[in-house]
Amino acid sequence: MSTPFGRAFLGLVRAEARAFRRDRVSLFFTVVLPFLFIVVFGLVMGGGGEAVPVGYAGGSGSDGATLERVLRETEGIVPTRFPDAASLEAAIGEKKVGFGILWDGGRLRLLYEASRFQENSAFEELARGVVTRFDLARQGASPAVALDEIPLGNPAAARSFNEMVPGILAFSLLTAGLFAVSGHLTSMKARRTLDRLLTTPMPPLGLLLAVAVVRLAVALLASLVILILSQVLFRFEPTLDLGKFLALALAATVGMMGLGTGIALLVRRPQSAANVANIVSILMMFLSGVTIPVELLPPFLRAVSRGLPLTYVAQGMRHATGMEEMSAGRFWAIVLGCLGMALAAFPLLARYVVRPERR
Amino acid sequence: MRPALSFALAQLRVTLRERETLFWFVLFPVLLFVLLVAIFGSLGQEGTIHFEVGFVNRDQAAGEAGLGRRIEGILEALSRPAQEGKEPLLHLHRPAGTENLDVFRAREEEAVRYGRHALLVVVPEGFSAGVLDALSSRPGVDPVKVQVFRRAGSSSSGFALLILKQVIAGVDQAVLASAGRFRPEEAVLAETTFLGSPAGTEVRYVDFLLPGLVLMAFFTAGLFGVPGAILFAREQRILRRYWVTPFSVPQFLAGFSVTHAIVCALQFTLLILVGRFALGAEVSFASPGAALFLVLASLTFLAFGFFVASLVQTGAAGMALANAINLPMTFLSGLYYQVGTLPGPLRVLLAVNPLSYLADGLRRVIGLQGAAAPLWLSVLVPILWIGFSLFVAGRRLSWDVGR
Amino acid sequence: MDENGLLLRVTDLRKSYGDVRAVDGVSFAVPRGTVFTLLGPNGAGKTTTLEILEGLREPDSGTIEVFGRSLRRVDRATKERMGVLLQEGSFEPYLKVKEVVALFASFFARPLPVKEVLERMELTEKQNALVRTLSGGQKQRLGVAVALVGDPELVFLDEPTTGLDPQARRNIWAIVHDLEEEKKTILLTTHYMEEAETLSDDVAILDHGAIIAQGSPRALALGLGQETVIEFALVGARPEDLRELEALGTGLSTHGEAVFLKTAAFTATMERLLAWSKARGVPLSGLVVRQPNLEDVFLSLTGRRLRE
Repeated sequence: MSTPFGRAFLGLVRAEARAFRRDRVSLFFTVVLPFLFIVVFGLVMGGGGEAVPVGYAGGSGSDGATLERVLRETEGIVPTRFPDAASLEAAIGEKKVGFGILWDGGRLRLLYEASRFQENSAFEELARGVVTRFDLARQGASPAVALDEIPLGNPAAARSFNEMVPGILAFSLLTAGLFAVSGHLTSMKARRTLDRLLTTPMPPLGLLLAVAVVRLAVALLASLVILILSQVLFRFEPTLDLGKFLALALAATVGMMGLGTGIALLVRRPQSAANVANIVSILMMFLSGVTIPVELLPPFLRAVSRGLPLTYVAQGMRHATGMEEMSAGRFWAIVLGCLGMALAAFPLLARYVVRPERR
Repeated sequence: MRPALSFALAQLRVTLRERETLFWFVLFPVLLFVLLVAIFGSLGQEGTIHFEVGFVNRDQAAGEAGLGRRIEGILEALSRPAQEGKEPLLHLHRPAGTENLDVFRAREEEAVRYGRHALLVVVPEGFSAGVLDALSSRPGVDPVKVQVFRRAGSSSSGFALLILKQVIAGVDQAVLASAGRFRPEEAVLAETTFLGSPAGTEVRYVDFLLPGLVLMAFFTAGLFGVPGAILFAREQRILRRYWVTPFSVPQFLAGFSVTHAIVCALQFTLLILVGRFALGAEVSFASPGAALFLVLASLTFLAFGFFVASLVQTGAAGMALANAINLPMTFLSGLYYQVGTLPGPLRVLLAVNPLSYLADGLRRVIGLQGAAAPLWLSVLVPILWIGFSLFVAGRRLSWDVGR
Repeated sequence: MDENGLLLRVTDLRKSYGDVRAVDGVSFAVPRGTVFTLLGPNGAGKTTTLEILEGLREPDSGTIEVFGRSLRRVDRATKERMGVLLQEGSFEPYLKVKEVVALFASFFARPLPVKEVLERMELTEKQNALVRTLSGGQKQRLGVAVALVGDPELVFLDEPTTGLDPQARRNIWAIVHDLEEEKKTILLTTHYMEEAETLSDDVAILDHGAIIAQGSPRALALGLGQETVIEFALVGARPEDLRELEALGTGLSTHGEAVFLKTAAFTATMERLLAWSKARGVPLSGLVVRQPNLEDVFLSLTGRRLRE
């Protein structure tokens, strides 16, 4: 690094680092947004596995006692007794209980709050189980056939929050790379800073490397922060494979620079490139299995997710943090795929950087 | 009157001519609406979810009459499409003809472990015999179990498991009934009622989402539009040109508020049209209660915008602050989804967030949900916010760049 | 009721920002129908003075009498009769030219017709153009249009031609002449000497927040005496050279290599100067003979030039 090129390169890296601190959009998407996601979703979903409070009423008589016994024996619910239907309905409306069961001597009324759709399907499932068991118990029977559930893989992944953190890490890496080009480089081009830099002996590739180095460093730092926060605040327990993690982080960041290149080349106005990158990030967030699982998407959106880079990077990141099992071949294929995107894009990017700005 | 209205018209022209404003305030809520409904609206509906399930029946001794074969039959039925052209619920993977069961099972287990398949169902050897034993002995004996391998942490595995639980429960009932232990005709009648919606039926996501998105659009206009317009105009000394004429700050504010109201009306109209004609929403805003909440929301976010503008010096800082506030406030408010029970610190944020009260109140008056909080509270909190915002903005907001 | 036909009188105006005294006891009076210019280099306090008169700032002390009323801070009724061209200021980039003028017209009780104002500023062709597409000169004309649309009696023009090309500058000067003919009262600030000389009836020279000289341009220049100025460049002048030259006339000022020699007896001084040059073997380059101007006044008062 003592050659003139080396010194110039270091100088560029320092300048890029300073520029990044001032680049609010990139800062926001790479550090702030993922952090906010972790906090928000962590607090909203991090509690996974807690028992559902269930209200019931009409428990007089032997059937009533049976209902009470069945409810208490059912896993995953915390039964609360209510004196009458009215107070039960009020509690449901005020969301003090997840749902309610009313026994009027002849039939069971299952009461749900209409607007709780996310949870209602799970509640209905629990209710069905209670009804079945109640049916059997009322007739003095007990089940002859049952299910033995055997989980495969890391049991820590059972918490949906734990599944989500690697996805958010992947998102942070993606945006670091994406906005490095569609945002930072494009704005440098618009402000003619790029032209000035190019009059120096530094080849365009040197500039790109400097940008990549800085953005990668920031992405790694952000990932570290996210990992630590998740562990400290929300009991996220990864089994980190450092080698795989770093390899994926590097490949993903430069690969996403490739995606950013595509946007920069397609969108004429440099200022619009950042907006397009903005939208692409948000779309990918929803459709890549980071926020909701891909299997739950409707078929045509599922197909879309198969074409999004973030889908694969998120999977790879889940594997690197020990949340998901994956064959070594598949993992390294993902890494190579990202590197391939970068290699294909860099010559195009270098040409973009040098191309004179059209007025 | 004339200067304020004239200014309102000019400001409206400016807002509609800036492409970026037009996109984020008008088009983006619509896009988000369509996207969220496409994703979440069809959640769990038949024909949209689909699972790969492996099946091994080791209960060969019982043959065609065995319970293992029965379970297989049910799963086969579920792998046929429920409706013409729709995907079936399951795709069943079974060992080919003479394939070694252990080899097949190992491969299937790996498929589940790596997430390619949702479940592996294994009916153990001697299953039917075991069940017969259980039926002939006294009640209370442990049930015989079917093994189900699932992937830890995978929601799709979890969903598929729910389906399988129902299958097994059905088989169990049938078996008990045939042994005389259970009389299906005496099974209880279970009735489902959804509280809070007028017809007692489940609320559709698109109807739930629409008021949330209208509020989100108003919020965006207030949070980004107001500080943006004021701060940049002040910075570039556009405002200064006004202050050397008889045009006063109160007139400016009046005109500005009119423009904001018109933008909100535009957003509302567009979302209603898209919701009603493109996405099949049925919810109606044609009531005095709904009008009250919409106007209240528009005012709250206008005031909030002034508040945010008064906190910073430059336009760039204003936009950064708006971005930082936007996500927590909209996500912790029940705009897009229901916030169930939240832990301590977040509950405080939820309790302070004007968006949650407005969303709650609006959904209440248009008949989408029951009473989570008293209605007067849903009106009071936003009014308090308006007061607070205007108080702070009144003291801090300067209308000209200082030296 | 204007006393003595004065439209505007400023008395002992002061404004400080921390330790900096931006306006330090400024007093002047502007009769109706005249062009009054505040001349001075950047940072002299011209703009601050004007901002106080426009109502953008409140003075620390001093009085303002305008339209016969005594005010501490310029109020709305006064602004109805004023028109202002700001030194720094923009219009909404996405408004059309005619929309801007119409908007400002709506601020006044009795505005001029928008079409008429546009025609007068030669902006009719550009009336449908967005502000962001205008050139510097066109934006300035728009600024003047906006200053005039309220049909004001008193017009403030703060640095109206700064940054404009010569043609645009002459256009603005023509407009000022027209305004003068319409008996409007104009308060102008500038750091261009020619502008002050060409346009003004009265000039006040400001430096460091205070008026150091005031009068008509001719009177100020003549205040230097019935003298001619001989200007030339001298490379490598030694102190004794300058002493010798000073003795040739009635006064000497220098600025870098430029030498300004004042004299009341032009012919005699010129002969002696040429003789001196020949005898010393020192060439006189860029020799110019002229009447004293405001630049010279400023230089003699402060030792600095108006435009550094």
